Amino acid sequence: MTWLVALLLLLAAAAGSGVVLSRDPRRQIFAIAANGLVLSALFFALEAPDVALSELAVGTAATPLMFLVILAAIRMDRKG
Amino acid sequence: MSTRLRLALFAVAQLCLLPAIWKIARALPPFGNPIEIYGRSIDTLGPPLRHISNMVSAVNFDFRGLDTVGEEFMLLCAVTGAVTLLRGIRGEDRGAKAERLPGRPLLDRAESTILVARVFAPLILLFGLYMVLHATVTPGGGFQGGVIIASGLLLVYLGEGYDAWRCLAPSRVFDAMEGGGSLLFLLCGLGPMAAGGVFMENLLPLGSIKDVFSGGLIVIENASVAIAVIGGFAMLFLEFMEETRAAETENER
Repeated sequence: MTWLVALLLLLAAAAGSGVVLSRDPRRQIFAIAANGLVLSALFFALEAPDVALSELAVGTAATPLMFLVILAAIRMDRKG
Repeated sequence: MSTRLRLALFAVAQLCLLPAIWKIARALPPFGNPIEIYGRSIDTLGPPLRHISNMVSAVNFDFRGLDTVGEEFMLLCAVTGAVTLLRGIRGEDRGAKAERLPGRPLLDRAESTILVARVFAPLILLFGLYMVLHATVTPGGGFQGGVIIASGLLLVYLGEGYDAWRCLAPSRVFDAMEGGGSLLFLLCGLGPMAAGGVFMENLLPLGSIKDVFSGGLIVIENASVAIAVIGGFAMLFLEFMEETRAAETENER
């Protein structure tokens, strides 16, 4: 195991904890995106570029965006 | 249930699971181990049999193509379900205004945002297209490229606004792409059967290795997955973004 993989594993642990520990939903969404970014870097370091690309597109762009939209819709419906 | 009791239960459950986890962890191949038997056989058989250099595509679209048919229809079902739930009148009008919380100022799009979106949107769309086309040569493929293209379309929204984005990305086109791509993929499986082969048998000329159009049937399957994924994800984004528009009548809520 190279130092790069070790570093990325530590980062992944930190980013995952960040998702769990952030209480504000809006921050949590960005924590999820950051976690996706770290995970895709880890997959890339582990020689799985295909998975890294999927994770990058789905985990860092698509999923957080949908969560953000849902959050916005919920907040707007609560105004009454 | 109090927090303490829950923590105690959690600890007990952990203790019960620990021997099993330990046993499984001991039986796993060591981290960073050389490629396993299945991977080695694919690496040996793939290039001579299918004339392609990206073995992940060979597995996805050929050796285990039936699994991908299943995944393709999972995606179709998921997208259909989400779109059925979300499709309504809200946001269908291109000029629909964004809903906002009362008292919150409506700021204009910053010029820097527009600049970044206009520079990067075409680049990302082009990169997605590159990824789709080079599925048989380099890592990536229809799924990854399709998601990249669909996300790149969102940059158009960011740069040009809702009106222009809806103009450029009409939902009917994506409906047709999602359904048509899935159908094409299924036909790639059934076509060889009609020609007297087995399901998804690679009957087309294979081309030369490291060429963009190598791999025979894999090229068509990859294109169909790309079409379906672009359609599916773009439609999901579209339906979700519609939810941020202001409702015009009460029963749109």
